[in-house]
Amino acid sequence: MDTLDLNKDNIDNINKTHVFRRLIRYIKPCLHLFIVSLVLVLMITGFDLARPVLLGDAIDEYILHDTDTSSDNINNQSISTNSLADNSRQKDLAGIRKTSVIYLILLILTFICNCLQTLLLQYTGQKVIYNIRQEVFEHTQALSLRFYDINPVGKITTRVTNDVEALSEMFSGILVKLFKNFIKIIGLATVMLSINVKLALLAFIVLPFVVIITIIFKKISRATYRVTRSKIAMLNAYLSEHISGMKVIQIFAKEVSKYDEFEKKSLELYNANYREMMVFAVFRPIIYFISIIALVTVIGTGSHAFLNGTITIGTLYIFIQYISSFFDPIQELAEQFGTLQSSIASAEKIFTLLDEKPQIVNPSNPIPVKEGINKIEFKHVWFAYDNENYILRDVSFTINPGEKVAFVGATGAGKSSILNLIGRYYDIQKGEILIDGINIKDIDKDALRKRIGQVQQDVFIFSGDIKSNISLNNPDISYEDVVNAAKYVNADHFISKLPGGYDEPVTERGQTLSQGERQLLSFARTLAYNPSILVMDEATANIDTETEILIEEALKKLMSGRTTIMVAHRLSTIQHADKIMVMHKGKIRESGTHQELLAAGGLYKKLYELQQK
Amino acid sequence: MEKKYKLSHYLYKYRVKYILGILTLFAVDIINTYIPQFTGEVTDGLTARTLDMSGVYHLIIKILLCGLAIALCRFLWRYFIFGSARAIEYDMRNDLFAHLETLSMNYYNKNKTGDLMAHFTSDLNAIRMSVGMAVISSFDSIFMTIMILIKMFFNISISLTLLASVPLIIIAFASIWYGKNIKIRFEKKQEAFSNLTDVANEDISGVRVIKAFVRERSRLKEFAKYNQDNMDKTMDVVKLQAVAIPLLDIITGLSSLITLVYGGSLAIMGKISLGQFIAFNQYIGMLVWPMLAIGESITTFSQGKASLNRVYSIFSAKSEIIDNGTYDKPVMGDIELNHLSFKYEDKTVTALNDITLKVNNGESLAIVGKTGCGKTTLVNLLLRMYNVDNGMIKIDGIDINDYKLKHLRESFAYVLQDNFLFSDTITNNIGFGSSHPTMDMITSAAKNALIHDNIMDFKDGYETLVGERGVTISGGQKQRSAIARALLKDAPILILDDSLSAVDTDTEEKILNNLSQIRKGKTSIIIAHRISTIMNADKILVLDDGNMAEYGTFDELVKKGGIFATMYEKQQLEKQIDSDESNEGEVK
Repeated sequence: MDTLDLNKDNIDNINKTHVFRRLIRYIKPCLHLFIVSLVLVLMITGFDLARPVLLGDAIDEYILHDTDTSSDNINNQSISTNSLADNSRQKDLAGIRKTSVIYLILLILTFICNCLQTLLLQYTGQKVIYNIRQEVFEHTQALSLRFYDINPVGKITTRVTNDVEALSEMFSGILVKLFKNFIKIIGLATVMLSINVKLALLAFIVLPFVVIITIIFKKISRATYRVTRSKIAMLNAYLSEHISGMKVIQIFAKEVSKYDEFEKKSLELYNANYREMMVFAVFRPIIYFISIIALVTVIGTGSHAFLNGTITIGTLYIFIQYISSFFDPIQELAEQFGTLQSSIASAEKIFTLLDEKPQIVNPSNPIPVKEGINKIEFKHVWFAYDNENYILRDVSFTINPGEKVAFVGATGAGKSSILNLIGRYYDIQKGEILIDGINIKDIDKDALRKRIGQVQQDVFIFSGDIKSNISLNNPDISYEDVVNAAKYVNADHFISKLPGGYDEPVTERGQTLSQGERQLLSFARTLAYNPSILVMDEATANIDTETEILIEEALKKLMSGRTTIMVAHRLSTIQHADKIMVMHKGKIRESGTHQELLAAGGLYKKLYELQQK
Repeated sequence: MEKKYKLSHYLYKYRVKYILGILTLFAVDIINTYIPQFTGEVTDGLTARTLDMSGVYHLIIKILLCGLAIALCRFLWRYFIFGSARAIEYDMRNDLFAHLETLSMNYYNKNKTGDLMAHFTSDLNAIRMSVGMAVISSFDSIFMTIMILIKMFFNISISLTLLASVPLIIIAFASIWYGKNIKIRFEKKQEAFSNLTDVANEDISGVRVIKAFVRERSRLKEFAKYNQDNMDKTMDVVKLQAVAIPLLDIITGLSSLITLVYGGSLAIMGKISLGQFIAFNQYIGMLVWPMLAIGESITTFSQGKASLNRVYSIFSAKSEIIDNGTYDKPVMGDIELNHLSFKYEDKTVTALNDITLKVNNGESLAIVGKTGCGKTTLVNLLLRMYNVDNGMIKIDGIDINDYKLKHLRESFAYVLQDNFLFSDTITNNIGFGSSHPTMDMITSAAKNALIHDNIMDFKDGYETLVGERGVTISGGQKQRSAIARALLKDAPILILDDSLSAVDTDTEEKILNNLSQIRKGKTSIIIAHRISTIMNADKILVLDDGNMAEYGTFDELVKKGGIFATMYEKQQLEKQIDSDESNEGEVK
């Protein structure tokens, strides 16, 4: 099985509607909230639609009510009004007031629904984002080390952070906006049709043009968008490369020619942006003009109908109002589809990562392991990281309980690989690795790793404080355990000198600590977890003599009573080993005790002499 | 910061377009107010029975003409203002890059590539939004508000206008308050997101430890905290928006309500006509957008301001290396170090300590020593990648600070330790340092660096793309390409910084032989770990923690029995083991 390489574009093979459906599935846990939110949207849209109707009715009923009788008054206000008209006007004013109260109630209801709807929807959206992010993070943690060997940290982090963030637009905005606009269009159309079919149909006459223009626009804009995206990516790649390669540019004094190159790329992006801008600059006014055409169509036919007495002036008023609100959602729909598309692009990236299966598969029925005797066996093990270039070739050995075995040999001989295989960070191609006679593939991965204490060459320090770096926030490890472990491996010495002691904060990668201190800290960490098997890749770093002595002592203590496998560099560590295996080019060439190997006068003797220098 | 990098300077450059854009914007707003007026005339005329169909058609033509003019002007202001905003973005982007090219290594040691890139992407974007979209919205909304208010004021009713605009004044003040608060919350949200990124990044880098100690679940819980915090901070932003935007709606709704109550009674009393009442309603509707836009542009402006400050911080960064030397005569290649000491800006210990030596034209100097002892620092100083005091480094007897910087650097052919190649063709990579290399020159440099045969093995030969989007080439091939690049430059002084570490000893020997022939009579500085690389150097400098531990010829140093002698013996033994190995064959 090939490991996913995030550098490569492996997106084309994914079906877009499939991605969308899969995304929608994430709403399920919050479905009730989402539905409530949609209902609220329906209500809000209803209220929005009702407002002009309310005004139109008020005009028809109260203001226009007696235009005929009072038309003189409008033209000639100096004439005193008679009491009858005065009385009816009082009624009209009361009607207006009544309408106002309804209008006010509508306003308040809209406000409440709007607040609620936005909150609910955003909450749902954010919750979904939270869940997806949690899932992506958990998944990356489950992936095998091979995945991390191939893919740079930055790329993986981007999947967890930015790509997931890009989905938030979709869940907390676009989906509902699409729905809202869709409902608005349907709602407006229904109301218009119910008021006057002929006038409504006339207003809709321009719609096919809108659709055609929108489709054309979509096609052009998608093409320009794609060009822009690729130009942005190109420019960013160029920038990233040239900012990190600035030194080369400067030492070759190539600033001017590199600037010209950059300007060319920058200009390409500018042109792409410019084209994109022009597409929008043309599209929006065209749609606007179409809405004006619809408006005059309604005015023209409406006026004609009014003069013929088939509609009231209130109806005409409502239609004039609706026409402008009818075109907004249509235009928005077109643009929201664009955003939806870019969300789907991010989703594709996330799903490719989620579809990557961990290569180290936990056994379905793991053999329960008791606290065993800790005997380790390699039987004809063949191993390659990439299925091709074998790092280990037919390696067999047995490490008896409590034994300390040191592996020595040149870089690339396969020593470190052996250490990685015992904790099953990689699976071997051929052969068997057994612990107490059980194949490690049949043991629960976590149970296996808990038994093994790994001391890595490159000590990784998490940001936090000293104690959290020893306990790794394991609640089973008390503060006392931490201090005891540190004391036991001589780490207490430097920790107690720190201003904050065990609470002293350490920054990312432990830059404030020296290499030797980090080493001691990692010993304390390992000891605190009290493993029964110790797997150790000894650091080669140059450490001052004082710390060196502390480390040697600590190592001795750490190894006592534990089956230990180590890649050793220090002569002192090697000499104390029960058995030494000399590796060369993926094979074990010599093995025995220090004395035996020296006497044999082979590879080891030469390596030993080298070390002595 | 230089004046030309001020935003005002960029704006000034496009002033004509901006003025034209704003004028067309105003034109749209002015014409826009006529449409409700004409529709009002239609409804008025119809109710008063003073309008017949030909009158209606007359007004329709007027509306259509207005619509056409508006559509045209809308296109034009987009063209003028969005176009200018894009042009400003383009100019700033180029200036940023040009400025970055002038900054020294000290700056790059302190600033991460990713962070610098963010200035080009998100910051320039935010600035563009400010000088484009936000300029339009703010001008548009202010002007439109004034226009509409005037129309309402003079054409309809003074008292109604005053009353109906009370809620709108509230909006103006509220949006300022809103802008301030949303910014604070937005920044908190950004911070939470950046914390989340840090945690994810750390856990992904430390995945080996997490797996080894079976801490996956605990880290997942820890991650959940940051994830939750990010969600909470996002919700804080959203909560404010969730209240503020509907509130805006209700306030504009109040204006409509006032119109209905007061305007309606005015209409019933006959103080205003029905058409005026309808037009007034439309005007109120037209005021909603400007009010919203003001709030939005305040937010955009404040984000743009923050980004502008970030971009300004790059523009105001100055290189401590000031190119005010004038010397530009051809370099012969005498190098003189005179009590050279150097300390990196942010470090407490010196990287180099009191180094004095002289390399004559045509000689070769080898530098050896442990990692971090100052070898690379020393050669970087020769090229003035960092500043040294006057008199410390002289080339041909002239202080390097008196050289024209470009001339000084062009006098070196430097093969860097990390063999940086650009994602480009092999031809362009090898030809990088030279002005107009011919294909023959490139092939001959490649042959001398023993990379020619490898290149010919590639499908596209010299036109093969290397780097991210091209073929991946091995470390040794990279090194040899970098050597070819330096050889082609044929500069007076050649520097090889650990440049043969990834090639086997056999190839190394051949390359060194070629070098000694091509570089006859020219100065070379070779940094290496392998003794075989430097055996033939005229002088060897052994650095230890920045100090000049040993200095002399090969024989002298071996005899001396110091650091160099130990190194040499060790490597001799290793070599022996290796050769024994290959003779021995399979094991017992």
